[in-house]
Amino acid sequence: MTRSAPDPRPEPRLREVLLALARVALMNALQYREGFLVEFLVGSGNVVAILLPLAVVFGKSSTVAGWTWDQSLLVTGFFLLTSAVMGGLVEPNLGAVVEGIRQGQMDYLLVKPVDAQLASSLMRIAPAKIWDALSAVVVIAWGLHGTGMPGPLALLACGTMLVAGLMAMYSLWLLVICLSFWFVRVDNLRYLLGAVTDAGRWPVDVYRGVARIFLTVAVPVALATSWPAMALLDRLDGALIAQAVAVGGGSMLFSRWAWKRALRSYSSASS
Amino acid sequence: MPIIEVSGLTKTYRVPVKGEGLGGSIRSLWSREYKDVEAVRDISFQIDSGERVGFLGPNGAGKTTTLKMLSGLLHPTSGRVTVAGFTPQDRVVAFLSSITLVMGQKQQLLWDLPPRESFALNRAMYGVDPVRYARTLDSLVTMLRIEAVLEKPVRNLSLGERMKCELVAALLHEPSVLFLDEPTIGLDVEMQVQVRKFIHDYNHDTGATVILTSHYMQDIAALTPRLLIIDRGSLRYDGKLTSLAERVAPERRIVVKGGPSELGELGFQRVEGDMVASLSPEGTNQLLSRVLARWPMVEVSVESPPLEEVMARYFREAT
Repeated sequence: MTRSAPDPRPEPRLREVLLALARVALMNALQYREGFLVEFLVGSGNVVAILLPLAVVFGKSSTVAGWTWDQSLLVTGFFLLTSAVMGGLVEPNLGAVVEGIRQGQMDYLLVKPVDAQLASSLMRIAPAKIWDALSAVVVIAWGLHGTGMPGPLALLACGTMLVAGLMAMYSLWLLVICLSFWFVRVDNLRYLLGAVTDAGRWPVDVYRGVARIFLTVAVPVALATSWPAMALLDRLDGALIAQAVAVGGGSMLFSRWAWKRALRSYSSASS
Repeated sequence: MPIIEVSGLTKTYRVPVKGEGLGGSIRSLWSREYKDVEAVRDISFQIDSGERVGFLGPNGAGKTTTLKMLSGLLHPTSGRVTVAGFTPQDRVVAFLSSITLVMGQKQQLLWDLPPRESFALNRAMYGVDPVRYARTLDSLVTMLRIEAVLEKPVRNLSLGERMKCELVAALLHEPSVLFLDEPTIGLDVEMQVQVRKFIHDYNHDTGATVILTSHYMQDIAALTPRLLIIDRGSLRYDGKLTSLAERVAPERRIVVKGGPSELGELGFQRVEGDMVASLSPEGTNQLLSRVLARWPMVEVSVESPPLEEVMARYFREAT
């Protein structure tokens, strides 16, 4: 092999990188087909486990904190959808970053001419979480059957809330992962985050005072679960929508800054 | 013309100091003390385009830390580094596209997928044109003779096959600077020879600059005419390998294979069945003539001390 005349170094194209990452993520995931069926069973059990307490509570009362059974189903549906996105896309990738830092594969990613945050966030997928997403669609449809179909503006607001909420949740995960650049072991923090996220399965009005602020600002899971449901029910005004967009966008910017800061402190695992 | 310029490079890590025993661990929970550890201390050197340079030193000497600063992975505490005209820690696309890093103890190949998938991912990440990619891949695969393993999952490959595939993955974008951190570690002797030959030929054919760290002296002897010895973070030697050997261990050994015991009269000693004499280079010819005049039919060889011995002596002297 001989070097040809000096040529300008090619620049990676985003679309091509994204396609290649998606291909690798899918191929990796499909290596273990058995897991797909097991996940289906686990996912089905998960839906029952989430709906059962709701049914128990609504067995004694027709409304909880101003939410009816059908309206609460919408929150549950968005909670399942958020869980599917977080468990299917965010957690497998960002969890692998921690492992990559510990074992040194992060070194290889950082010497590639691509955005390390982008590549770290898209290299893995857990396709079995599609069951959670499908369950989410069924539960939301079930809820809408009772509440009635929303108008196009409400649908748009709902989509905006969902995206803003997911952005905020992704950012929070990324911030936790950034800590692993300094502390390496952040497992407990990840479990804590998972546990707090679980609170999003209930309508946010169930929580009062500090807890409510916590779930909309600190761990903004309510943005991705209760707020999209509120949008479908025409319960959101422009100010709340703007607030959600600000939290979503702001958290993305902040986590991006933290990631870059963390890279500066990267000490790499010794060989 | 220098492609790598390093001036006053220093890397200091701040590490926590734990007290002894359980009590020390508990105390460190609320009052943790830190100390600064200088992994690399005020190192300066230049490397010309196309050179093959070996970084040598004991474990923890600072070789890998230096390599990681050169490749932009670590930010120096102080000092200046430029590689191909870029400051590595800026991590600009043009810089990252012109270097590669291979670490013998770590892997970039996707564990559950065939190597071909890792190659394809790297092609996209480096934005290599598909036609050029196919040509380069074909050429590298032929040079390393790994046609048969391209479709096997990486987890099923032998260590040697995996290292060859790691090299392909690292070179698909035709980098002009290669940082190789112990690329032959753990490989059997035959595979080490193959990898060395590949690196040598790649440098010869493409003119790429090669910076290599290794604990195997054979790697250094076969690949890197120039040596940088790093010890306890400082650069101790920068020069030709042959010059170092001449300075530290200049003597020659005359070995008479299965020679007669009478050679003892000329200062020879029996070592594992052979008669061996150590002496200065100046006296070698004279003694050789005397041996051959008296025993013209014996098998004689003149050897320099092995590189392992040269280095052991060098580090003994340094301490």
